[in-house]
Amino acid sequence: MSNYILRTKQLSKQYRNNLALDEVNISIKKGEIYGFIGQNGAGKSTMLRMVTGLSLPSEGSVELFGNDNPRELTIAQKRIGAIIESPAFFPNMTALENLEVHRLQKGVPGKDCITKSLELVGLNDTGKKKIKNFSLGMQQRLGLAIALLSDPEFLILDEPTNGLDPMGIVELRELLKKLNREKGLTILISSHILSELHQLATCYGIIHKGRLLEELSAIELDEKCKQHLRIKVDQPTKGATILESALGTTDFEVMPDGTLKLYSYLDDVRKVSKTLTDHQLVIEHLSQAGDSLENYFSKLVGGERA
Amino acid sequence: MSNQIRVEWFKLQRNRTFWILLLTSTCISALLHYLVIIDWWQMGNTAFDSVDLSEMNALSTFTVPLFFNLIVGTLAAFFISNEFSQSSVIKNQIISGSKRSHIFLAKYLIFSLASIVVTILIPLIVGIIEVILLGYGEIFTPLNLLFLGRALGLFSLQFLGYTAILVLLAVITEDSGKTIIFSIVFTIIMFAVEKLMRLPIINMLYENSIFYQFSEVFKCSMTYSELIESILIAFVTIIILIWCGIYMFNKKEIK
Repeated sequence: MSNYILRTKQLSKQYRNNLALDEVNISIKKGEIYGFIGQNGAGKSTMLRMVTGLSLPSEGSVELFGNDNPRELTIAQKRIGAIIESPAFFPNMTALENLEVHRLQKGVPGKDCITKSLELVGLNDTGKKKIKNFSLGMQQRLGLAIALLSDPEFLILDEPTNGLDPMGIVELRELLKKLNREKGLTILISSHILSELHQLATCYGIIHKGRLLEELSAIELDEKCKQHLRIKVDQPTKGATILESALGTTDFEVMPDGTLKLYSYLDDVRKVSKTLTDHQLVIEHLSQAGDSLENYFSKLVGGERA
Repeated sequence: MSNQIRVEWFKLQRNRTFWILLLTSTCISALLHYLVIIDWWQMGNTAFDSVDLSEMNALSTFTVPLFFNLIVGTLAAFFISNEFSQSSVIKNQIISGSKRSHIFLAKYLIFSLASIVVTILIPLIVGIIEVILLGYGEIFTPLNLLFLGRALGLFSLQFLGYTAILVLLAVITEDSGKTIIFSIVFTIIMFAVEKLMRLPIINMLYENSIFYQFSEVFKCSMTYSELIESILIAFVTIIILIWCGIYMFNKKEIK
C-alpha cells in the first residue's frame, strides 16, 4: 500500500489563454499537515479543485491513496473531507438538516456522527436556527463539521480561517492538531497567511503563479529561516575549532563553501569577531543572517509579498 | 446511486418551491375544474370531449407545454440550478465521491417525479375528486378510465423527455433565472414550429418529437403502431437527452 495519501504528477490546468497550474508535483505522506502557501491567485484553489474532482486536469494526474485511474479516484474521494473556497450549504435548512444531507450523500450509517461533528466544532446548540442566519464564523465551523462528518482519513481545507475571529482561529488550529495527533488525520491546508500555517504545518509547498517553487519540511524551513551569524574566514577548519574551544559552542555548521553558520552569540558579535582575530584568522565576512517566514517566502517568489 | 436518490428525496421534501408549486397547482386545478364543471368556463373540441369526459376538460390546460413549462421550469430553476449558483452545494455532492452520472440521474429521477406529481397527478386527482363531489361520478366508465390511463400514461412518458430537457438546461445555465427564461423561449419556439413552420424536414422532425406527441397521445383511439411509435419517441428522447446531460455534467467545471 502506498505511503502517500496524495501525489500529483505534472498537474496542469489551462483556462483558455491562462495557465493556472503548471506541471505541479506534490506529495503528501500519511499523518502530515501540509501547508500549501501561495498568494491570492497563485493556483492553490485550482489545485485543490482538481484533487477533489470539481475540476478536471488539462494535463497530468492525481493519485489519491495510491489510486490514479478515474474510477478508483472517485471511490478514493469518499475517504476525503474538504472545504473548497467557501463552505456550501442549503441556506433554508438547519445545521442538523445540512449535515443529514451530507450523511445521506456519503452513506454514513446512523445519525450519531451528526451530533459528534456538531459537538466537535461547538455548534451543537444551534437548534432550529437556519444557516442563512449563521455568522460567517459559524458557517466556517459548520463547513468543517460537514468535512469531518464521515470520519475522513484526509482533510482538505482551502483558506479555512476566512471569517473566523482570533479565538476561532486558535480553536481551529488546536482542533486540527488534535485530530492529526489522535486520529492520524492527514491534512492539506491552503492559506496565504504564512504565520497561520507556520504554527500548524509539518511540511510546506510553496506555489507561485501556478508553479510549485519549493516543497520542504517544517524542520527544513525553520532551518532556512533560523537567525545566525554568517562568518567567512580564510581558514574555515581552524575557525570551527576556535569556535568550539574558545567560545565553547557547538551550535554552528560548516557549509560546503566554507562559510560558518553560528546560531549562538547573536547578541555578541563583537566577542566572536575578537576571538577569531585574536587567533590570527582573517575575517572576510561577518553578518547576521536568517529570514522570517514572510521574508523567506517573499525572496522565493521574487520580492512579491504574500 | 441509492444514496444520491435518498439525498434528492430529502432535499425535495424541504424545497420550498416544490411545496409552493404543489399548493398552486392544487388551487389552480381545483378552480379550473370547478369552473368547467359548473359550465362557467366552456371548453370545446378537447380530447376529453370526444370520450364523454367533458367534465375533465380542465386537464387539457395542464397538457399544453406553454402552461406546464411555467410549473416545471420554475421547479428546475429552484431545485437544480440553484445548487450550482446560489448555494453551490453541488460542490459537496461532487466532493463526497459519488459518480457524476449517478448524481445527474438521481436529480433527473426525483425532479421528474416531483414534476409528474405537480403537473399531472395533482390536477388529475383534484379533477376526479371534484367530479365525484359535484355529482358527476357516473362519467367514469371502465372505457373512459382506460382512455385516461392510456393517454396520461403515454403523456407522462413524453413528459419525462421534457423534464430531461429541463434538467439539461438547468445544468448548462447554472442559474435559476436563465433556466426559466430559456425554458420559456424554448417552448415558444416549439409552439412557433408547430403553428408556422412549413419546411418539410422541420415538420418531419417535429412530428417525431415529444412535442407532437403531447397532443397525439390524447387521441380517443390509437392504433398499435401509433402506440409503439409514441413509446419509442419518448424512450429515444429520454435516452439521448440523459446521455447528453451526463456527458456535459461529466465535463463540467464545478464552481
